[in-house]
Amino acid sequence: MEGKETHGSVGGASTSSSSSATKKQSKRPKYSRFSQQELPACKFIVTPTVVISTFVAIAIVFIPLGLASLFASDNVVEIVHRYDDLCLPESSTAVQHIQSKDSNKTCAAKLAVSKAMKGPIFIYYQLDNFYQNHRRYVKSRSDKQLKYKADADDTDSCSPEATTDKGPIVPCGLVAWSLFNDTYKFVVQNKVVDVNKKNIAWDSDRNHKFGSDVYPQNFQSGGLIGGAKLETSKPLSDQEDLIVWMRTAALPTFRKLYGRIEGDLQVNDNIEVVVENNYNTYSFGGKKWLILSTTSWIGGKNEFIGIAYLTIGGLCLFLAITFILIYVLRPRQLGDPSYLSWNKQSPMP
Amino acid sequence: MKRYVYINDDESPTQDLYCDNRISNRKYTVWNFLPKNLWEQFSRFMNQYFLLIACLQLWSLITPVNPASTWGPLIFIFAVSASKEAWDDYNRFLSDKKANEKEVWIVKHGLKKPSRAQDVRVGDIVWLRENDEVPCDLVVLGTSDPQGLCYIETSALDGETDLKTRGIPSACTGIDSELLHKIKGVIECPNPDKDIRRFDANLRLFPPFIDNDVCPLTIKNTVLQSCYLRNTEWACGVAVYTGNETKLGMSRGIPEPKLTAMDAMIDKLTGAIFVFQIVVVVVLGIAGNVWKDTEARKQWYVQYPKEGPWYELLVIPLRFELLCSIMIPISIKVSLDLVKSLYAKFIDWDIEMFDQETGSSSHATNTAISEDLGQVEYIMTDKTGTLTENKMVFRRCCISGTFYGNESGDALKDVRLQNAVASGSPDVIRFLTVMAICNTVIPVQSKNGNVLYKAQSQDEEALVQAAAKLHMVLFSKSGNLLEIRFNASAIKYEVLDILEFTSDRKRMSVVVRDTRDDKIFLLSKGADEAILPCASAGQQTRTLNEAADQYAQLGLRTLCLAWRELKEDEYQEWSLMFREASSTLVDREWRIAEVCQRLEHDLEVLGVTAIEDRLQDGVPETIEMLRRAGINFWMLTGDKQNTAIQIALSCNFISPEPKGQLLLIDGKTEDEVCRSLERVLLTMRITSSEPKDVAFVVDGWALEIALKNHRKDFTELAILSRTAICCRVTPSQKAQLVELLKSCDYRTLAIGDGGNDVRMIQQADIGVGISGREGLQAARAADYSIGKFRFLKRLILVHGRYSYNRTAFLSQYSFYKSLLICFIQIFFSFISGVSGTSLFNSVSLMAYNVFYTSIPVLVSVLDKDLSEKTVMQHPQILFYCQAGRLLNPSTFAGWFGRSLFHAIVVFIISINAFAYEKSEMEEVAMVALSGCIWLQAFVVIIETNSFTVLQHLAIWGNLIGFYIINWIVSTIPSSGMYTIMFRLCSQPSYWITIFLIVGAGMGPILAIKYFRYTYTPSKINTLQQAERLGGPILSLGNIDPQQRSMEKEVAALSITQPKGRNSVYEPLLSESPSGTRRSFGSAAPFEFFQSQASRLSSSYSRNCKDN
Repeated sequence: MEGKETHGSVGGASTSSSSSATKKQSKRPKYSRFSQQELPACKFIVTPTVVISTFVAIAIVFIPLGLASLFASDNVVEIVHRYDDLCLPESSTAVQHIQSKDSNKTCAAKLAVSKAMKGPIFIYYQLDNFYQNHRRYVKSRSDKQLKYKADADDTDSCSPEATTDKGPIVPCGLVAWSLFNDTYKFVVQNKVVDVNKKNIAWDSDRNHKFGSDVYPQNFQSGGLIGGAKLETSKPLSDQEDLIVWMRTAALPTFRKLYGRIEGDLQVNDNIEVVVENNYNTYSFGGKKWLILSTTSWIGGKNEFIGIAYLTIGGLCLFLAITFILIYVLRPRQLGDPSYLSWNKQSPMP
Repeated sequence: MKRYVYINDDESPTQDLYCDNRISNRKYTVWNFLPKNLWEQFSRFMNQYFLLIACLQLWSLITPVNPASTWGPLIFIFAVSASKEAWDDYNRFLSDKKANEKEVWIVKHGLKKPSRAQDVRVGDIVWLRENDEVPCDLVVLGTSDPQGLCYIETSALDGETDLKTRGIPSACTGIDSELLHKIKGVIECPNPDKDIRRFDANLRLFPPFIDNDVCPLTIKNTVLQSCYLRNTEWACGVAVYTGNETKLGMSRGIPEPKLTAMDAMIDKLTGAIFVFQIVVVVVLGIAGNVWKDTEARKQWYVQYPKEGPWYELLVIPLRFELLCSIMIPISIKVSLDLVKSLYAKFIDWDIEMFDQETGSSSHATNTAISEDLGQVEYIMTDKTGTLTENKMVFRRCCISGTFYGNESGDALKDVRLQNAVASGSPDVIRFLTVMAICNTVIPVQSKNGNVLYKAQSQDEEALVQAAAKLHMVLFSKSGNLLEIRFNASAIKYEVLDILEFTSDRKRMSVVVRDTRDDKIFLLSKGADEAILPCASAGQQTRTLNEAADQYAQLGLRTLCLAWRELKEDEYQEWSLMFREASSTLVDREWRIAEVCQRLEHDLEVLGVTAIEDRLQDGVPETIEMLRRAGINFWMLTGDKQNTAIQIALSCNFISPEPKGQLLLIDGKTEDEVCRSLERVLLTMRITSSEPKDVAFVVDGWALEIALKNHRKDFTELAILSRTAICCRVTPSQKAQLVELLKSCDYRTLAIGDGGNDVRMIQQADIGVGISGREGLQAARAADYSIGKFRFLKRLILVHGRYSYNRTAFLSQYSFYKSLLICFIQIFFSFISGVSGTSLFNSVSLMAYNVFYTSIPVLVSVLDKDLSEKTVMQHPQILFYCQAGRLLNPSTFAGWFGRSLFHAIVVFIISINAFAYEKSEMEEVAMVALSGCIWLQAFVVIIETNSFTVLQHLAIWGNLIGFYIINWIVSTIPSSGMYTIMFRLCSQPSYWITIFLIVGAGMGPILAIKYFRYTYTPSKINTLQQAERLGGPILSLGNIDPQQRSMEKEVAALSITQPKGRNSVYEPLLSESPSGTRRSFGSAAPFEFFQSQASRLSSSYSRNCKDN
């Protein structure tokens, strides 16, 4: 019966006619591995071996790295001194004291060096609860004005510290206006230590973002006085405190470089610090610290990275062991056909 | 509405009324392109949203970043879609231009002049030479042929490659070609429509031209635009429809864009993200305002004014709205469009879907719906030409009670028939004569003396070929004169009238005059139920019924041949009526049918022919495989029930007893149909829990009642039943069934090859056309056209499945990466006084979505989770796509959780590692951004199943690209990240932080993936593992050679010998001629198919009894 030959020839028919149709080959799509989706590919499969060895490898890399980071951080010697509460007279409230022009804002403190510190020693001030990243604050500056003398009038973005009756404020904006103005003097073993305030800002900022021919104008001359005043004779590119301050911090708690002590400090050296406590953090409850710190290959003292590395490394090790245990206790054949349930019953969506 | 065309009349008022012959497929002009295209793009909700965001950003008080970060991508994306549109339109313009400037010959003032095609006006006489393309719709007035005939090829119009004859109207016969150029007259024709099979018009020639009677015009007198003139030296005709008003022009329509289930899901998820975004904005907005009033007023350095403007309360929420606007990735639409067109290209390029036989490759006309292919739940298939080859071969016949070809399976080789022909048995001769004459086949003498046949109907060609092999050769047709040669003698017949075939009449007849003795005969052929009722009262039709039935059981197509001698006066009388009916303008088809009916009675039925339509290669395997993939098949055919069931059995559509069961919905009256439907439904409910193949069978008549009066029951039945056979259904019923399933939220795919499938194809979610012998109509209307039915499995299982998987990953990943960066912004707002500061700078935000993250994911279009071979071996795996397992709210929640987790990791680590003296905003921003980039690269890696060179290139190249771009940007002082990237890259703490982010972010993801993959693997995972192990995967799941055994069963049967049967298995599916059919159809509405054998034999014997 004819049905037999029809259906019998099924599989082979597609290949058998290939030679006969050579004249129609022109329409035939061109073969390339890309167009046929046949590019050679390696398959990525999460087999136990691959995964367990990955986790072991991560653990092996992470734990030493974590230890190294912790060690580095531990080697950093840091003296932290909070002074905002210490420098207050008992007679008046904090805000009144800080806003009064007449009150004596100098206060002294003694710091002990518990571990030898190799120079250069970095002096930072740390503020807390200070939102340099507040949108109203962070946008209130004019980079053009800072760079180019001709753009002194470019103060559109600086409101509310943009202009005075005498003309545009240079540098304008809230960031510059609120410049930190506490000062520190250090006396070690009864000897005044020089604080190097050169090169505390980024080179790139000094050379390319702050103009060397731009001088402060009308700065802090309005009704409201914010923070520090600037010497009008120094170009902005030399006002390194300003440049440091203008690098806004991403977090409400931040440190900024105040200066460097180039010499070393020995154990049990006594440092007398004379703080000029001018900056108002009292109205918003912010704290102020003075920090002396050495540095390491990962920067200042920061145990976070080391601890995080150790945690992740430990976790990976734990996972690797767990997976090995599960693998041993409950072995499971990969690609076991019995998991393909449609082999048992007809699938019905 | 009518139009009057004045032939050759330059002064006629109608000249300017109608458009010229300029074809325009363009959507835009140079002037309206920009507004129109923008309007179209902005009518999409997503784009409106982005525009609103971009406009809000122009308000500097609230914008967190430079407005360019939104405007840039927005303009880029708009430019991409606009230039794609412009390019398409330009190509359309070029092809239009080429067609418009083609040279044609127009007759003006009696002279032929060359002219451009676009200058043809309605009423102009166009002169065509052989092999010319017809520039517009013409009514033929004269040809080089003395009989006024010409031959045209209409393949561009309907895809049929055979030649068709067209003739001049009777009023124009005998006009000299010189005079023809000066002819004047008027044609009254309907307004332009798109029906290429109908043209009901009248022609009246003006004096001095002969008789000025009204002369009817039909489609036979026209040559339509885009056809070619063949085998005719010249022809000329008058333009009636021009330009975009031609039949071809009218049928060009812009189809409604189809939306895939996936697009709908993505839209839903986008909506959900939008709601989430609003919630975030409201919460943060309130929190921000509260913080401002309590805390910020104390922060003297912020200098909040005591009194703000009226909109002050809105400022912070709006800032957050802008910050969060990146939650909805602006790039997703473009990415999806891009990958979708690549999916379509992969289909076009696929060599394995290239049909060697016709030299046609598969083509995706609709490039946007490939994912839907992977989610198909129902396939509605046509039978003839789709499952079968539509290549007709004459196999058997029954002439006056004698069966020929039953033993050998080929009547042409049957010695008894050869002997009968040789001995000149009058019955056989008459039978052969009808086979040779009663058709519209055109014989063409080839150069070596052979006769070639050009036929519109494959059945007719098969009959004429068979007759020729039995020495009754249709030799030539010229005009009305037709010559056949029997052995050596030539016999000439004059064709008086052709009573054409329509699907309502199901028969066609010709009236011929034998030139030897001037006798007039009516020769008819048609479906048995159309011919047998017209048989003369005295004739016994029992054997004929039997024969028709038996052939149908074998899946053969049957035709009854009949004839009758007409008396001269009877014919003349009828001829007048026929002529009158032919020239009516209203309801012409119906009127003609009625007139034909008057002639076609008292026929002497000569016999039954059986034509085999072979199954296409690979059909049973394809159906078997797709059914195992969980796709339900419905067969919708215009063919008769028995043939349909036979084909269904032989191509695995339904299983034979005991596995399968067929339920019939039938009934003589509406009530019976209703009762039968209820009973079927009842059985279906009971059996639906059993692992049994239950199918129901319904025919057009019962279907109409079921759809009209019992829609609810029928819908339930449709949902319960995995298989259905609907026979004798009309094109509109096919479309209705598709509509029904669509309304139940099923993804439907309709596949067909002929014009009668077009409506169903357009109605279905996915229309697939087979570019077959019935022309290209279906393939043109379809979203995909393939050469053979068997390519369907590759189209669905390979292309559809991959497309679905890839889009599922791509879309969710797009949301993941946008949410990731957005979450970081939200977290940052908690440590920036809820004031809406953006951590990232404008450049990073803009580039993040457009450059940094879009390239690696785009190459995921090359990802293959399983090899094609494995998918073909385990088609069940399609279930994951069908059920939408890879993209749904819960998988999306997983991605949402992942982006939240990663945002936490990146944020916590970057702000803690870069704390205190390092907490510089630009640096922290770049650390966080690098963390995001690294994490997203590793997410792509962990989610990619197979890596090709391109993927490695994209992933690692993208990372390198990120650093290069950022180094470049870092050299620009005003970029907001001047020198930052150089500083960071030289710090060990940066790299150590990035390393930490990657470890902390990917470790848990890998652990979870491993755990799920190994201990609760999905079937895809199991197969991936099995693939990795190599070797043959599971013999269990392979296709068992079921259909083979069944064929043998059929083959082993000798039908002519009725076996002893069990009367319990009264068959219900036998179809008997119309008169008796309904009477026993509903007697037992559902019963079991016991086996092939008992069913066949019992139905056979039962018919014997009944008749």
